[in-house]
Amino acid sequence: MRSLRREPALFLALLAVASLALAFIVYPQIQVILTPGPDGYVSFLQEGTWLSPLRNSIQLTALSTTTAVLLGFVYAYAMVYSNMRWKPFFRLIGILPLLSPPFVVAAAYTLLFGARGIVSYGVFGQSPNIYGLGGVWGVQTIAFFPFAYQLIADALSRSDPRMEQAARNLGAGSWRVFWTVTLPLSRPGLGAAILTTAIYILEDFGNPQLIGGQFYVLPTQAYNLISGFGEYTSAAAVSTILLLLALGLYLGKVRLDGGRSFVTISGRASSMPRPPVSPGLSWACFAACLALAGLILLVYGSLVVSALTLRFPNNLQFTLEHFQYVTTGTNGEALRNTLVFSSVAAGFSAIFALFAAWLVQRGQWPGKRALDLLLILPAAIPGIFFGLGYVTAFNQRWLDFVYRGWLIIIAFIFWNIPVGYQAAVAGLRQIDRSIDEAATSLGASSMRGFREVLLPMLGGSLRVGLVTTFVRAVTTLSLVIFLFTPPTTVATIRIYQLVNDLNWGAATAFTVADIGMAILALSIFAVLARGRIALGAARA
Amino acid sequence: MTPELDRRAFLKLAGATAIVAACGGSVAAPSASPSGKISVYSALNESTNNELSAAFTKATGIEISLLSLPAAGDLQTRITSEKSNPQADIFVGGSSEFHDPLGKQGLLEAYQSPNAKDIAAQFKEASGLWTGWYTGIFAFVSNTSRLNAEVGGKKPATWDDLLDPAWSKRLIVPDPVKTGGGYIFVATQIFRFNRDEAKAMDYMKKLHANVVSYGPSSPGVITSIANAEAAGAPNWAHDILTEKAKDPARIDLTIPKDTGFEVGAVSIVKGGKNLPAAKAFVDWVLTKEAGELNVRLSKRGSVRKDVAPFPGAPTLDQVSLVNYDRQWATDNKTRIQKLWQTTLGIQ
Repeated sequence: MRSLRREPALFLALLAVASLALAFIVYPQIQVILTPGPDGYVSFLQEGTWLSPLRNSIQLTALSTTTAVLLGFVYAYAMVYSNMRWKPFFRLIGILPLLSPPFVVAAAYTLLFGARGIVSYGVFGQSPNIYGLGGVWGVQTIAFFPFAYQLIADALSRSDPRMEQAARNLGAGSWRVFWTVTLPLSRPGLGAAILTTAIYILEDFGNPQLIGGQFYVLPTQAYNLISGFGEYTSAAAVSTILLLLALGLYLGKVRLDGGRSFVTISGRASSMPRPPVSPGLSWACFAACLALAGLILLVYGSLVVSALTLRFPNNLQFTLEHFQYVTTGTNGEALRNTLVFSSVAAGFSAIFALFAAWLVQRGQWPGKRALDLLLILPAAIPGIFFGLGYVTAFNQRWLDFVYRGWLIIIAFIFWNIPVGYQAAVAGLRQIDRSIDEAATSLGASSMRGFREVLLPMLGGSLRVGLVTTFVRAVTTLSLVIFLFTPPTTVATIRIYQLVNDLNWGAATAFTVADIGMAILALSIFAVLARGRIALGAARA
Repeated sequence: MTPELDRRAFLKLAGATAIVAACGGSVAAPSASPSGKISVYSALNESTNNELSAAFTKATGIEISLLSLPAAGDLQTRITSEKSNPQADIFVGGSSEFHDPLGKQGLLEAYQSPNAKDIAAQFKEASGLWTGWYTGIFAFVSNTSRLNAEVGGKKPATWDDLLDPAWSKRLIVPDPVKTGGGYIFVATQIFRFNRDEAKAMDYMKKLHANVVSYGPSSPGVITSIANAEAAGAPNWAHDILTEKAKDPARIDLTIPKDTGFEVGAVSIVKGGKNLPAAKAFVDWVLTKEAGELNVRLSKRGSVRKDVAPFPGAPTLDQVSLVNYDRQWATDNKTRIQKLWQTTLGIQ
């Protein structure tokens, strides 16, 4: 990238990205941080009610991140390297756990594996107490491994097969190649995966709330202060503690990967296939993925059964009444809002994340570390505070003329940037600078080099950003709870209401409709994108 | 001005004049009746919301834009965070604990409805910042088959009965740190022992031995009992009755002696866009008609003496209540929650 002074367009682009991030990430969040005021912070810190949740949060994040990243790695390895069958099926399964509207999926675990669970009690006659650390740890591992899987698969698929072939030709076994070539070269993706997964687990409230029992963590504390007792001030102080923790994680990651180079794509094109893995390994991968898929399908399958029966699990008579309810009145409108808001946000968010990643990763300008941090930070902000910040900042009389849906869309865009951004940064670190330099030496502007040379190679990262933004937007409740208005109600708000009305049948029917709609949208997107961003679609 | 607009303006003016003339003729100059649309933030459940707002529109001609969330705390926080540009005219439903702090922060409009004059003082805020219009009683739900098979079929007559070893690991209690209902349960114990916190905590500690889990939401606990995850749980009487109506043989309701209750409130948000219509809403909610509708739909009690209780539902005069000091319970909440956690060793 040439100097900013010689490329005014580049300078303007940078200015635009930075000011958008300031306006829609920093400014609203400052409103929340300032809410308690100095006295509020002092008295909250003195109460000391945050100490054990803080300890628990750190412990849970460490445990769940370790297992989720391990699982994600195994899954990614199986998808990219092995010759196992049913890959398209497993690709879908790898997204499913991301589609978990709060309350409903965690409650399904209770119904299946709880004290009177269909599997635990009905099949095995056991009455386990799943409430507590063990239960949340297990559920979070399943719920969050897809983040790690997507980021790692993107990095693995970009590694150059020639390096592995070369190692093989020099006599290294496949195990040795994995440890000395594959693993080291996927470090950017691995680092990004650990950081993002850890931050998302740190911020998760749905699973600890429903399954955590007396194992209180910071996000549940913040949420309960608001929902149970209307105490915004103390809750905002908890949110600040969470932000500081995330900042710590970020600094840890920066130290960890230092300034190393992970270039795996050099100037020359390669169409060499990956060295084959042994059939035994492929079968092992297949078996592992199948077991995981079975568990995930059991959970989501129970939602479908519940949506189609009168009163699950006590009355299993078939009925369509729940689905009829979901498609009548304002409910259909809520589903449509969800679809429209999420699709628009996903497109903008993915492109913005990619562009910002390019500016940060390739640029040489002061303050790029700060922007880098800023674009990861939203992951650490519990949705409820992201929304609260937006209301406080943008619910102004002079903005009343703007359609409220836009506020929700903008919140979706910026809250979900971190994954797409991390994927793009990791991707760029694996692409040799000489490639874009070649373009600029031949006279192209930096922007043109980005558009015509780098962008086509980053299809996978773009896809990661699109998919995660979309599914998170479809399933978030906490973010929209303070932003929606009657005409801009979304599906998760309706699900929240139905769960509290003890209308489990309609709540699960709504959830199934919501998830089904999301899968349909993703499939249509995949078909449309084939060819356009072939790199991403062809890879895991 | 185009001739078209001119004609419309003329017709409107003529109409208005006719209405004013008609009204002015009969009554001594009443203020123009409120109209238009109001924005209502509601913590009531869905069926109540739908029918109640339809009935209000039918009675007054005022339309409602309804924003509903099941947790009153979410609505309270929403109103607080929207204070620079209030989006609500009315906050309805939820215990008065959620309305009172808003009044103290100056976010509510004081209004003493003429329909509130017969309501007992304990059910309303003196200056009219909020007015109570329904009551909920804290009770006990049991899973019939597990109660009969494992606990000997005996429902608790007092809260102390729950300490019986027969209940060992067979109770779910709404979490006092996560839910309003769970906290009211703990506060009720404190008032039951005449504010002797040591005794109340001793009770909670003994009870802990019988508790299999603390539930993350009050209504969710009723679902757990219906699914036989435990034999019984303290919970709201009206929610228990609603769930029981779906499958009467499955669960049952009891009211132990010395229990607590809530006062469901309605309040007007200051700075709303249609104050006259908001006042009309408060007036209407306090009528006998609205009270009866709410009793039928939500199975709660009404603060009006002329509204009959829901068949089978307890009323405040029938049950034995503790002297529940709402202000004290609110002011000491954080301390009591912490005390409870320390007592149980989960801090």
